[in-house]
Amino acid sequence: MKKFYSGRYCLNFPPALLKILRVMKLSVLLTCILSVNLMASVYSQQAKFDLNIIDQSVRDVLKTIEKESEFRFFYNDEFTDLDKKLTFTTTDQSIDDLMALVLNNTEVGYRVLDNNFIVITPKSLLQQLKVTGRVTDSDGIPLIGVTVVVEGTNTGAITDIDGTYTIDAANKEATLAFSYIGYNATKVAIDGRSIIDVVMELDVKSLEEVIVIGYGTVKKSDLTGSVASVTSKDLVSFPSLGIDQAVQGRATGIQVTSLNGEPGGGTRIRIRGGTSLNASSDPLYVVDGFAGGAIPPPEDIKSIEILKDASATAIYGSRGANGVVLVTTKSGKTGDTKIEFNSSYSFNKVGKKLELLNATEFAEYINEVRANSGSTSVPFPNPSSYGVGTDWQDIIFKDGSLQNYQLSASGGKESFRFYTSLNYYGQDGIVINSDYKRYSGLTNLDIDAGKNLKVGTRMFFRRSIENGVKSQEGSGGATNTGVISGALIISPTIGIYNEDGSFTTSPIGDPYDNPYATATQYVNESVNDLYQGSTYVDLTIMEGLVFKSTLGVSIRNNRNGNYTPTTLNAGRNVGGDAGIGSSKSTSVLNENYLSYNKVINAVHKLNLMAGHSYQSNRNEWWTSNNNSYITDSYLFWNLDGGADYQLDYSDLSQWELLSYYGRANYNFKDKYLLTFTGRFDGSSRLGKNNKWGFFPSSAFAWNIKQEPFLESFQTLSQLKFRASYGVTGNTDIGVYQSLANFASGVAAINEATVNAVVPSSVANSDLAWESTQQTDIGLDIGFWNGRLNANLDYYYKKTEDLLYNVPLPQYSGYSSSLRNIGSLENKGFELGLSTVNIENSDLSWTSDFNISFSRNKVLSLPSGEVIYKRRPGHLIGDDTHILTEGAPAGSFYGYIYDGVNEADGSPIYRDIAGRDADNKLIMQPDGVVNSDDRTIIGNPHPDYILGFNNTLQYKNFDLNIFFQGVVGNDMMNFTRMELEWVNGKGNQMATVLNRWTPSNTQTDIPVAGAYSSITSTRWVEDGSYVRLKNVSLGYNIPERILQKAGIEKLRVYIGGQNLWTITKYTGYNPDVSYNDGNTSLGLDYGSYPSSRSITFGLNVTF
Amino acid sequence: MLNQKKMKRNTIYKILAVCAVIFTTIASCTKLEENPIGVLAPESYFKTEVEVEAAVMGVYSRLARETIYGRKLPITIMLLGDACDIGDQGTPARRIQMNNFVPDANNGLITAFWPEVYRSIGAANAAISGAQSIPNKDGAKTIELVAEARILRAHCYYILVQLFGDIPYIGEFVTDPGLVADASKTPAAEVYQKIIEDCEFAELNLPDTYASGIRCRPTKGSAKTMLASVYLTLGEYDKAARYAEEVINSRATYGYDLVDDFTELWKADNGDMAEHIWTVDFKAGNQTFYNLWAPLTGIRGADMQGWSVVVPSPGLYNLYDSGDHRMEITFITESPFSGVMVPYTNWEISRMHFGKYALYPGAGAASDGSNSGRNYPIYRLAEVYLIAAEALAEVNNGPTTKAYEYINKVRERARFGGTLPADLASGLSKEDFINAVLKERLLEFPLEYKRWFDIKRRQLGTEVFAGTNSIEPHSFDPAKNYLLPIPQSELDRNPNLKPQNPGY
Repeated sequence: MKKFYSGRYCLNFPPALLKILRVMKLSVLLTCILSVNLMASVYSQQAKFDLNIIDQSVRDVLKTIEKESEFRFFYNDEFTDLDKKLTFTTTDQSIDDLMALVLNNTEVGYRVLDNNFIVITPKSLLQQLKVTGRVTDSDGIPLIGVTVVVEGTNTGAITDIDGTYTIDAANKEATLAFSYIGYNATKVAIDGRSIIDVVMELDVKSLEEVIVIGYGTVKKSDLTGSVASVTSKDLVSFPSLGIDQAVQGRATGIQVTSLNGEPGGGTRIRIRGGTSLNASSDPLYVVDGFAGGAIPPPEDIKSIEILKDASATAIYGSRGANGVVLVTTKSGKTGDTKIEFNSSYSFNKVGKKLELLNATEFAEYINEVRANSGSTSVPFPNPSSYGVGTDWQDIIFKDGSLQNYQLSASGGKESFRFYTSLNYYGQDGIVINSDYKRYSGLTNLDIDAGKNLKVGTRMFFRRSIENGVKSQEGSGGATNTGVISGALIISPTIGIYNEDGSFTTSPIGDPYDNPYATATQYVNESVNDLYQGSTYVDLTIMEGLVFKSTLGVSIRNNRNGNYTPTTLNAGRNVGGDAGIGSSKSTSVLNENYLSYNKVINAVHKLNLMAGHSYQSNRNEWWTSNNNSYITDSYLFWNLDGGADYQLDYSDLSQWELLSYYGRANYNFKDKYLLTFTGRFDGSSRLGKNNKWGFFPSSAFAWNIKQEPFLESFQTLSQLKFRASYGVTGNTDIGVYQSLANFASGVAAINEATVNAVVPSSVANSDLAWESTQQTDIGLDIGFWNGRLNANLDYYYKKTEDLLYNVPLPQYSGYSSSLRNIGSLENKGFELGLSTVNIENSDLSWTSDFNISFSRNKVLSLPSGEVIYKRRPGHLIGDDTHILTEGAPAGSFYGYIYDGVNEADGSPIYRDIAGRDADNKLIMQPDGVVNSDDRTIIGNPHPDYILGFNNTLQYKNFDLNIFFQGVVGNDMMNFTRMELEWVNGKGNQMATVLNRWTPSNTQTDIPVAGAYSSITSTRWVEDGSYVRLKNVSLGYNIPERILQKAGIEKLRVYIGGQNLWTITKYTGYNPDVSYNDGNTSLGLDYGSYPSSRSITFGLNVTF
Repeated sequence: MLNQKKMKRNTIYKILAVCAVIFTTIASCTKLEENPIGVLAPESYFKTEVEVEAAVMGVYSRLARETIYGRKLPITIMLLGDACDIGDQGTPARRIQMNNFVPDANNGLITAFWPEVYRSIGAANAAISGAQSIPNKDGAKTIELVAEARILRAHCYYILVQLFGDIPYIGEFVTDPGLVADASKTPAAEVYQKIIEDCEFAELNLPDTYASGIRCRPTKGSAKTMLASVYLTLGEYDKAARYAEEVINSRATYGYDLVDDFTELWKADNGDMAEHIWTVDFKAGNQTFYNLWAPLTGIRGADMQGWSVVVPSPGLYNLYDSGDHRMEITFITESPFSGVMVPYTNWEISRMHFGKYALYPGAGAASDGSNSGRNYPIYRLAEVYLIAAEALAEVNNGPTTKAYEYINKVRERARFGGTLPADLASGLSKEDFINAVLKERLLEFPLEYKRWFDIKRRQLGTEVFAGTNSIEPHSFDPAKNYLLPIPQSELDRNPNLKPQNPGY
C-alpha cells in the first residue's frame, strides 16, 4: 500500500485513482471528495468486521481496517485524536458500528463515501446547515459535476446527474461558490435559505462556448471553420447606431469604414477584403435565421457571429462569398422577470477643424490670382479692411448630443419564455440642422408547446427619421454646394446675411449659397419604417432528429421628402423645388430543415442537417417633383400647389432565390472533426442558362491537445489545427441584368416631351455567379488553462467569373455588358489574442488584441487596364484610378508631383515614360510630361487593421479601454485638393500662405492661379490611424445599498469616444469614404467630420 | 412497445411527407424567371407605328443631351475652329487640348461623344429594324418614320466621318455585340455613300413640313439641305448647288425664310423661326435635356453667372465691318456685375464674350442660363444661301449673278437697314469670291460649329492657324490635325480598327 502525502492530508489511494490525481489539481479533488454526498455502497452495508484490538492508536486501527477490507481512509494526519490508544474486540460488526467505536470520545466524525472511501473530519464540519439545490444552465438544462464550495472553507460538493447538490454550510451567512468549466463562476449568499437553485451563465471566453453557425449551433471546440464572435457586452460598451459601428476593431478580418459620418450615416463592411468589382462586396446579414433581415439595435443583440471561411459560409451558397454576419437577438430565460433599463447621454464635439485663410489673407490671395492672370481688376482693393472675417466652420458646427435609452423585460415560466424591449436612439449632429432619431421594439417569444414541440416568434419594428444636410456634395456650381465643402471654400470676407436680410452668396466664382443657408434652408427628411417578423416550429421527431421550419416577412417602407426653398439659388430659379418619393420593399423567407444528432459507441459523433429555403423580394419605388410655388411654407406637402410639374418616376423590381442545402459534421473522440457542406442555389437574377449553382465546402480540424503525447504539457491548454476549402458565390447584382432591354425616356419635340425608347442593354443568357474559392488554415492555441488564447488564420480567396461590366466597343451602341470574366484575389493573415492578465477576487484585467493583414490584387481583367475617374464632378479634371492586372482594385492613378518650378511657381510633374519608334510605351523619360507619365500613386487598402480592448475590474469599478486602428492605407484627399489648388475659386488652407511668390521660391505650393488640380501624389496621403475609440469607467453600486430599493443591479458609467487619434492625415477624419464602391475606396471629399464624445450612462436591473 | 415504435415511425413519415409537399410546392411555384414589368423587351416591343415612332424619338432623346448637343460635341468642333478660344484656363484639360490641337486618344471630349453618337446610331438602327417587323411595315407612316430614322443616322455619321475619317459603319440593329466586335473601319468615301443613300431615301419619303412648323424633325427640305452640305464637303459642287437651289426655290413650300433681325434668332423664347431648317430641340428646365451653352459662353463673375469657357478668338471681332448687326448678339463687351455695368477689360476673364447663347437663355433656364430651352441650330437658311453661292462659283469657275445674289442676301440681312456690310463688289475672281463666302460663313456662324468643317474641307488649317492673318494662332500639323484620334479604348477593344489616325 502506497501512501500519498499532500499538505495536511494524507490518503491511501488505489492505483487507478492515483493516475487521475497526477493530472488533476489535488486540492480541488480533495475538496470535492471531502463532501461528496453519495449513498454508501452495497459493500459498505454488507462488510462485517471481526477485530481484536489491544492498545493500538486510532491511526493503526484504521490501517488494520484498510488491510482487512476495501475501505480506504481519508484524514488529516495531524489530528491529535489519531494517536489515542484503543483496546476492543468486535464480532460481525458493521463499518458504522466499528467507526462509532473507533472514534468514540474524539473530536472527529466520519462519513462513508462512494468507492468505499471513509472520510474522517472534525465533527463541527459534519453537523452543519444542509443546503440543497439544483444547478442549471440558462436554458434550464441541469449541469452535472458543478463544484460547489462554501466560501472560505474546504467544504464542497459536486452536482449529480440531475444537477442537484447538497452541502453542509458553515453558517447561515456563508456564501456558496459555484464553478464549472465553461461557465462563469457564480457566488450566492445562503442568507438563511436551505434550498438554493442556481442558473449558471456560459463563459463566453470558454472553449465550450456555443457558436451559432448557419442553421444550427456548434461547440466552439468542435468548430472547423473560421468564425469570429462578438458578444453583447462589447456591442454596448459605448452607444452606437448599429452593429457595424460596434464591431469595428472587435474581431479579426473585418474592416469597417464610415461612408460619411453624418447622423444615421452608413458604413462599409468588408470581411476579408472586397471580392467583387461591379457587384456588391457587402456581407450577408442573417438575423435570427432571416437572410437579409434588418438588424435590431446593439442593445437587443445577444451575439454576433462573423463567418469568414468557406467552411462556415458555404451553407449560404451564392450569397456567402463576402462573409456572413449572423445576428442572434436576446431571448428570455426561465425565471423571475427581469427588467433592465439602460440609458446614456453623450455630448459630441467636432473632432477637428481645418486651418483656413482668414478674410485678409483670402483677399490678398484672390487679388494675387487675378493679377497673375494678367487682369487689371482688383477684386478686394483693401484686404486688411476685412480683418479676420467669418469663420464658416464655427458657423456650421455646433455641439451635438446622442441619447440612447432601452427598456427591456425578460423572463419566463417553465414552458414559456419572453424577451421584449423598447429602444430610442436620438442623435443631434455636430453640423447645424442634421439629426437622426430611431424608435424600435423587439419581442421574442419561445413556447414549449409539447414535449417535442417548440414554437416561437421574433418580432421587430422600427421607425427612423433622418434630417440630413448636404454634405459630401459631389457637384458644385451655383446651386449644389454641400454644407461642409461650402464652409471650407466660401469667402471669409462675407457674413451670413446681406443688408436686406437675404442670404449671402459666394463673391468669387460661381455665386453659390453660403453654407449656413444651405444647412438651414434645405429640407431633407427621410422616414423609414420597418416591420420584420418570423415564426418558427421546432419539432423533435425522435431522439436526435429535429425538424425546424421558419416563415419570415420583412417589410420596409421609406419616404423621402425634400424641399429647396426660394431662399437658395436652386430654389430661387424655379420658385421652390419640392419632391417626395416612397419605396416599399417586401422580403419573404421560408426555411425548412431537418437535423439529426447521433453518437455511436461514444466515440463517433455525427450531426447531419439538410434543408430547403425559398426567398422572394419585391421592391417598389416612386417619386414625384414639382416646382414653382407661391410660398415656401408648403415644403413637400403640397405638390399640386406648384405650377411646373417635373418628371415622375416609378419602378418595380423582383427577385427569387430557391435553395437546397445540407451539412454533415463528424467528430471522432473530439479529436478529429470533419465538416462537409453544400448548397444548391437557383436565382432569378441570373441568365437563363445559368440559373443554378452548387457551392460545396469541406473542412477538417484536429484537436491536437487531445492526443496522449500532449497530455503532459500542462501549460498548453488547447491546440487545434483547422483547414478548410470551399466555393461560395456572389449574385448581388441588380435585377434584369441578363435581359436585353429597351429603356424608355422622353424626347423634346417643340418644347413638349414625347415617349422615346432606346436600346439600353444586350442580353446575356449565360450570366452566372461570381465564384470565390477560399482556403483557410487556422490554429487555435491556449496556455495556462485559457489565460492566454491565440487564434491564427491564413486565408486565400480567389474570385473568378467576376461579375464585370465588360466594356464593349462603343460603336456597337452599347458601352458595356455584364459578364462573368476576370479574377481577383484576397489573401491575408489574422491573429487574435485574448489574455487574462490578472485575475483575483478584487482585481481582474483581460485584454483582447486582434490584427489582420489583407492583400487585394486584380489577377485578370477582360480588357487589360481600365482607367477611370472618381472625383467629385465639379473638381473638373483628369482620371484618378486604374484597374489593372497585378495591382489592388481601386489603385490611385496619376502623376508624381515634384514640387514647383522655382523660376515661375508652376507645378512640376515627373517625366517617367516615353514612346519608342513604334509608338510603344517605354519607361524612359522623353522630355514631355503627358498621359504616358501617369502611374499608380496610391493603394487605398490598409496593410493591416487592428483592435485592442482592455477590460479591468476592481471591486465595484470596471474600466474599458479600446483602441482601434487602420495602418498603411492611402487616402486621396479631394477636400485638400480644393483647398490647396490655388486656382482662385474659393478659400484655401492656411498652408497656401506658403505659396510660391517671386520672394518665396522654396516651397511646394504653386503660384497663385496655377492650374494644379491634376491627379498627382500631391493629394495622396497616408490614411493610417490609431485611435482611442472608447474609454469608459463604470461603478456598480454595492448590492447591500440596492437591496433596500429592490434593485438587483445598478451601474453608472462615464465614457469617452474618439478622445485621441494618432494620424498624419490632414483631413477631418481618415475613417471616411466618399463614393462607396469597390473601385472607389479611400476617397475623402466634404465628409462630415468625426466627433469626440463624452458619455454618461446608467444600467439598472430590477 | 412495438406499437409505440410504429407510431413514431408513422409520425416521421407524416412529417417527411409534409416536408416533401412543402418543398415541391414551393419549387414548382417558381421557374426563377424574370418577368420585368417596368422594362421593355426588344423582341416583343414593336407592334405598330406608335412603337416605331417612339423608337425614332429615342434618337432625339440621345441627341439633346449634354454629351452630344448640350455641350460636348459642338464644343469640340467649335474649339477646333479658329472662331472660338478658351477663356478660363482653369477649364478641364480636355478642352484646352482640343483648342490647341494636342488632343490624345483618351481626350475626354472624344471619349464622351463618340459612344453617345454611336448610341444614337444604334437607336436609329433599332427603329429601322423594328419598322420591318410590324404588320404594317409598308404603310406610308412607317416608311416616313424609317426615312426619319435614316436621315438621323446619316446626320450622326456625317459628323463622325468629318471628324474622324474612316470609321466603323454599323448599319444594322445590334442584338449581339459579338457580331460586330471585330468590325473593320469603313473607308470615309463609303461612309459618305451610305450617308447619301440615307439622305436620298429621306428626301423621297419625308414630309414637306410637320404640323406647328416643327423644325427639330427633319423634312424633305432638311434632307435636301443636308445633301447640299454633304456634296459641298465632297466637292461635288454641281449636286451641292442643285440641292441648295432646290431648297431656296421651294422655300415657301417648306416654310423657310431669313429672319430680318439676326438678334431674334438668338432669343430662346422665340423658339424655332422660319430661318431654321433643322434644330435640336431642348426643353427648358428639364434635366434630361441638359443644355449648357449659356453658362459655357457666359461671363464668369458677372450677374449672368457664366463660366467663361468658350470665348471669341482674339482676332474675330476685327473681321466684322463696323455696323454689322450680327456683332450685337455675337459679342458682349460689357455686362452687369452686381447690377453695375463693367467693361470686359475689368472682368475676371478680361476678354470679349459671345452673346448668342448667353444673353437670352429664355424662361425656364436656371439663373446661370443652364438648362435653357434654346434649340441648337443644325442648319439655317442662311447657310443654304452660302452653300449655293460657293457651289455655283465652283461649278461655273467663277461667281454667277445667282451666286452674288445668294451671298448678298446674307449680307443684306446683316446690315439690318444700315450700310455695312455692303453688297459684295462684283467682278471677283473665283478664288476671291469663294474666300468671301468662307469669310461670310465665319462671320455668320461663330458658335454654330460650321467653321472647323470649312477649314477641313478647304484644307485651310496651316493658313488660318499659322498664317500671318491668323485670328487664333496655334501650331497646326496638316499631316495630323485634320482628323481626331479614334478613342484609344476602341482600338484596345477591337484591334481591327487599327491603325490609329496618323500622328496619334
